[in-house]
Amino acid sequence: MQTNELAASLTSRFDSRILGVDGFPGLLGRVRFEPAIALDLFRTFRDDLGFSHLTMVGGIDWVDHREVFYALWSDADRVYVMLSANLPAEAPSIASAVPIWPSANAHERETWDLVGIRFEGHPDLRRIFMPEGYAYHPLLRSFKIFEPEDLEVKVRSE
Amino acid sequence: MSAQTPVPAKPATLPTLESPQSDQSLPVVNQPGVPFVEIEALRAREFIPAAKEALSSLLKEQAEGKLIRPVFNWAGRNSLFPLHWGLACCAIEFAAAFGARWDAERFGVVPRSSPRQCDLLIVNGTVTWKVAHKLITLYEQMPEPKWAIAMGNCATGGGPFRTAYSVVPGVDKLIPVDVYIAGCPPRPESMLDGIIRLERLIKERGE
Ligand code: SF4
Repeated sequence: MQTNELAASLTSRFDSRILGVDGFPGLLGRVRFEPAIALDLFRTFRDDLGFSHLTMVGGIDWVDHREVFYALWSDADRVYVMLSANLPAEAPSIASAVPIWPSANAHERETWDLVGIRFEGHPDLRRIFMPEGYAYHPLLRSFKIFEPEDLEVKVRSE
Repeated sequence: MSAQTPVPAKPATLPTLESPQSDQSLPVVNQPGVPFVEIEALRAREFIPAAKEALSSLLKEQAEGKLIRPVFNWAGRNSLFPLHWGLACCAIEFAAAFGARWDAERFGVVPRSSPRQCDLLIVNGTVTWKVAHKLITLYEQMPEPKWAIAMGNCATGGGPFRTAYSVVPGVDKLIPVDVYIAGCPPRPESMLDGIIRLERLIKERGE
């Protein structure tokens, strides 16, 4: 499959809710989509396009918005594809990919913990690296590095 | 067992059950009633008769203060049992110190796997906020008297991760620490040095 074939088959299903399919070095392409169609898009990729494995989920803080991205691997075509969606900076959230690919579980917990993106429908969205009760999402650009002398971070007992 | 009980007259020297030559050389402090011996100066075979003598004395209170506590101090500081708990890269050096080359067991240091059997917590590595609870729980599970050593720069003050969001900047924010060992990582010799310093500290404090 080529990038333009992928773009054609996606736009035929989702029209303008696919915001673009870009070429990307080392990937089949980078698909930008609207967060509202997330679950349908995931199902299409798994069932119709053969992307059987979700390799990773991550998030980026662009200050004015946040981006969530997914890397998918196809065993049949032996290619990667990347999906990415822009979310608002205030209370960003998107549908969880766990019902489609169970391997998303830990990755989505990590993205919630560090970048603060909520995944609706996740079975167990707890923090994974930081203790429960930690007050920040530390990979946000608004997070201040603190000096140990004015240590504000306290660990509440569980 | 009261001090008012008339004390039977005792011989000025110790009974010589197992060591006939020893009674001249023993540094005996003559007090009325209890022959008090500097236990540090005793040889192993002289120790048992001295302990028997002191324990069978009617003045148990004096025996407790002058013999039993020093003996416990001496025994405790020469058989420190650290918790076998590795946190980060320093744990490699911790493990190496118990190997054949450095052989920390020479100093009576034997790592144990349960905090109930330990009296020394060697924090050997980076303590994250996530593991902070477990560290405190383990420390509180250890029976008194207990000591803690912060091994390496991470446990001492956060080390290279001092300003990181996930790392406790110094384990003394969580538990009381007796000895700090610098280094990233400290070599096993430094760890042994830290343990010997702790032994000296315990002796000075007389815990
Ligand atoms: S002090 Fe250095 S060697 Fe020890 S745990 Fe920290 S980073 Fe690792």
